[in-house]
Amino acid sequence: MNKKSLLQRAAAAPHIVWSVLFIVAPLIFVIYYAFTNADGKFSFSNIVELAQPSYLEIFLRSVCFAFLATVICLVIAYPIAYFIAKAKPKTQKILIMLVMLPMWMNFLIRTYSWMALLEDSGIINSLLGSEFHMINTAGAVILGMVYNFLPYMILPLHSVLSKIDFRLYEAASDLGCNPFFVITKVVFPLSVPGIISGITMVFVPSISTFYISQKLGGGNFDLIGDTIERQFQTAYNYNLGASMSFVLMILIIISMTIMNKYADDDGGVII
Amino acid sequence: MMKLNKIKNVNSIYTALIFIFLYMPIAVLILFSFNSSSSTNTFEGFSLRWYRELFNDAATMEALKNTLILAVLSAIISTVIGTLAAYGINKMKNKALKNGTMSVTNIPMMNPEIVTGISMMLLFVFVGSIVNSKTILGFGTVLIAHITFNLPYVILSVMPKFKQMDRHLPEAALDLGCTPMQSFLKVELPQIMPGIISGLIMAFTLSLDDFVISYFTIGSGFETLPIRIYSMTKKRVTPDMYALSALIFVSILILLIVSNVSSSDNKEKKVLTQKQKKTVKIVLASTFGAIALLTAGLFISTSMTEVVTVNVYNWGEYISDGSEGEDGEPITDVNAEFEKYYSKILSEKYDKKIKVKVNYTTFASNEDLYAKLKGGAGGYDVIVPSDYMIERLIKEDLIQPISSRDEILTAIPDYNNLKDQFKTPFYDNGEDVYSVMYTYGVIGIVYNTDYVDEADVGGWDLLWNEKYSGKILQFNNARDAFGTAMYKLGINVNSPSVQDWENALNVLKEQKPVVQSYVMDEVYNKMESGEAWIAAYYAGDALSMIYNAEKHGVNLDFYYPTDASGNPITNVFADAMCIPADVSKEQKEHAQAYINFMLLVDEEYGSPAIANAEYIYYASPNKLVVESDDYLASLDGDEEIIYDPVIDDNITELFNTYAYRNLSNEDLATLNKNWESLKVDSSNFNVSIYVISIIIALAIIAFIVFKYVQKRYRRRLYWNNPVTSKQTFDFTSTMTKISIPPELRAGPKEDKK
Repeated sequence: MNKKSLLQRAAAAPHIVWSVLFIVAPLIFVIYYAFTNADGKFSFSNIVELAQPSYLEIFLRSVCFAFLATVICLVIAYPIAYFIAKAKPKTQKILIMLVMLPMWMNFLIRTYSWMALLEDSGIINSLLGSEFHMINTAGAVILGMVYNFLPYMILPLHSVLSKIDFRLYEAASDLGCNPFFVITKVVFPLSVPGIISGITMVFVPSISTFYISQKLGGGNFDLIGDTIERQFQTAYNYNLGASMSFVLMILIIISMTIMNKYADDDGGVII
Repeated sequence: MMKLNKIKNVNSIYTALIFIFLYMPIAVLILFSFNSSSSTNTFEGFSLRWYRELFNDAATMEALKNTLILAVLSAIISTVIGTLAAYGINKMKNKALKNGTMSVTNIPMMNPEIVTGISMMLLFVFVGSIVNSKTILGFGTVLIAHITFNLPYVILSVMPKFKQMDRHLPEAALDLGCTPMQSFLKVELPQIMPGIISGLIMAFTLSLDDFVISYFTIGSGFETLPIRIYSMTKKRVTPDMYALSALIFVSILILLIVSNVSSSDNKEKKVLTQKQKKTVKIVLASTFGAIALLTAGLFISTSMTEVVTVNVYNWGEYISDGSEGEDGEPITDVNAEFEKYYSKILSEKYDKKIKVKVNYTTFASNEDLYAKLKGGAGGYDVIVPSDYMIERLIKEDLIQPISSRDEILTAIPDYNNLKDQFKTPFYDNGEDVYSVMYTYGVIGIVYNTDYVDEADVGGWDLLWNEKYSGKILQFNNARDAFGTAMYKLGINVNSPSVQDWENALNVLKEQKPVVQSYVMDEVYNKMESGEAWIAAYYAGDALSMIYNAEKHGVNLDFYYPTDASGNPITNVFADAMCIPADVSKEQKEHAQAYINFMLLVDEEYGSPAIANAEYIYYASPNKLVVESDDYLASLDGDEEIIYDPVIDDNITELFNTYAYRNLSNEDLATLNKNWESLKVDSSNFNVSIYVISIIIALAIIAFIVFKYVQKRYRRRLYWNNPVTSKQTFDFTSTMTKISIPPELRAGPKEDKK
């Protein structure tokens, strides 16, 4: 018996050591850099710097963009996830495969390809012979987010919706629900866990992206991700970058807690 | 019935629209991978040129190989550690420890990728500073990072299998005389195999596709495919990347179709026989085994033969790279020529076969280079910074002397190919030689002659002209962007006065509303396609843009701003080859050979100095190049622009008046602060976006409050609380579905039968 528990303990040991070394320690470094200045002395100067209006606007902008992208994804994805879930098993399989297929392609090159589509002299404008100004606008950045993260919304929604017992629809209709109420009273509440999971999986990458805003926003819409990336890759200001990441982490923890709470209230449990 | 059909139609139309949205960019890149020209927005004819170039592109093939090795290694290691961990965590009795371990495990999955990336980078840099190594970032660190973010996914797909397993099974095995090890191997392992396989495949795909985390933890001399794509999308159009993506797309499509067809075949037979199951297992195992062996083989084969590697870090589009020239014939591939040349020299010297490999990576600005060197991603043997950056690198001991000035000819035998006035430039005229000049030139303005009025042309003001609002490009690096403003204002670009920098910042902020975007090498694309009309850029690149644009029917021209009497008021710069301080004595020898090769004019090795000068259109400081008739003929009359006598005859004086100098630390801090303030300055406060967000947020909050009140009201109505069904959402299975098509999972289906 003793021997057995030794094996059990040893089994998780490499992982625990690994986690401490490469998950916990790095996060401690982020906090360390966030609260020190360039000379390595403890200071709040970075956090104070982030309270400047211009940085606050970056945070506000990132939250708004990510929020809108998430809402749009949800609105677009819900009906399609529902249709797919109601399709025949064989069609379902093919459609889900088609949703996943773009995710196997590198997202950088797909975003780059949007650039070619949206430019003033780009493909859309030259096909339509129009002169819409699309690239380097807020709309283009949000479109990029929606495009890249839409499958992350469709898949969890589909996975929840396809598990709903079909007889529930029938029961609801038998009890006098019209199709509208079948969806709002039966389908929607049951799909909340999928919605929550989808929201998390779209919101977190959207709020921290930097490639999409660089390519489709033309550097006019700095997001949190861009600012962090710049501190580490060109400005060489690790302290500011770390404090920004720290705030981002806190921001995400807060929004996830709120969402988890709401999900619990409503009968869903996530992750 | 009519109504139902209508609904169905609406559904299919909607579904079709979404799929068009999802596949539009992919269709575009597949279409343009067959384009005969390098344009990404006008299709000029069908050709397989980019597929040909792709297979000739050694660097991309190398990146592909690296990506595969990395994915296989990280998948295997994380699967082993993760499976053991799932076993151990599942058996843990201590609740607190168990929960604690699980929450820590989930961190990389929940954290934004960028935070995971920078946190690991900070750790590695710290470790690097302890062991005093500038080369800590590299293959090892990326591997560690990939294993780390793979682990939670592996654990989450193996864990449920342990939970589902009858816990009496191992007990029975023990009772029947198994040792705990045997019980694990013979009883538990086969039960959890489907979880392990899906974890392995998921880890493999995640690692294959990762960009953000690799981006922060990667070092020199090692490039994965996503990283290469990233650095390429920063440059000129790269339809060979489109070709690669198209190939990947088609192969995955075929894979999915095949697996789909074979799995539906199986369904007809309903149950797999024991034998079939075994075959499936064998096929799966052997496929993965083959991939693993192949990568291992590649790994070993590269480490078996003696290879001398030279890591070169240069500006984008700054070397003759073997791509197809105008006549369809490939131009000289200077790096490949060097490999050939140097391998021959070394093999003769040591009397055995020695392979030479050039790892060539690119940066976009001096500041990028500096951040890399300073941040621990060293390991470069040759770098090509500009004048003021060289001054700074010398001051901070980040580069080492190539040799003393007296012995330079032993180190760089062809040093005398340089013209004399370029041997002792202002940034490097001491007793030691730190740099060998690569090119020099001026900053000027490229403009589209079809749209820009000749009357507006001449000074720096063109970059501020509101007439061309939204069509102007500005530099995406602090020094050059502030340079344009300071030359415009007539301020000394090396001013020690904070007020001067402040003034320049204000002028740049004024400019922000008319700027289309802040770019570095993206400028090629935007100018050549006519997307932008005005850009400040370096002379050589400007000429290269003019030639390329001509092919697409876009007319560009270039000038450098002058004062009333025609004297240039612009930056004169030089880029030179240097050797970083951490290069070992042995590597230094190779670095010197590479530097010397760049000065060489020798037909046998494709005359690298001439090939480069012809390809990049920058002025060459090399005597032999400037005297070469072939070269002059190839310029086709443009030598007056490249070797403008106004610039060339006064080069030393111009350097002294207009070149950027290394700034003091305080001024540098001011510059960086101002740049940051410019970048975050919001010229376009987009009110509508915020208003819409607030309205939606309010609507959602109102909805939730309404629901909550309704619930409370109902609870009061009924004596009993309504039963809330706690439905659990299986995260792992969703994640599995997301990353791996169900057809590829050797998953639960088998299990149930």
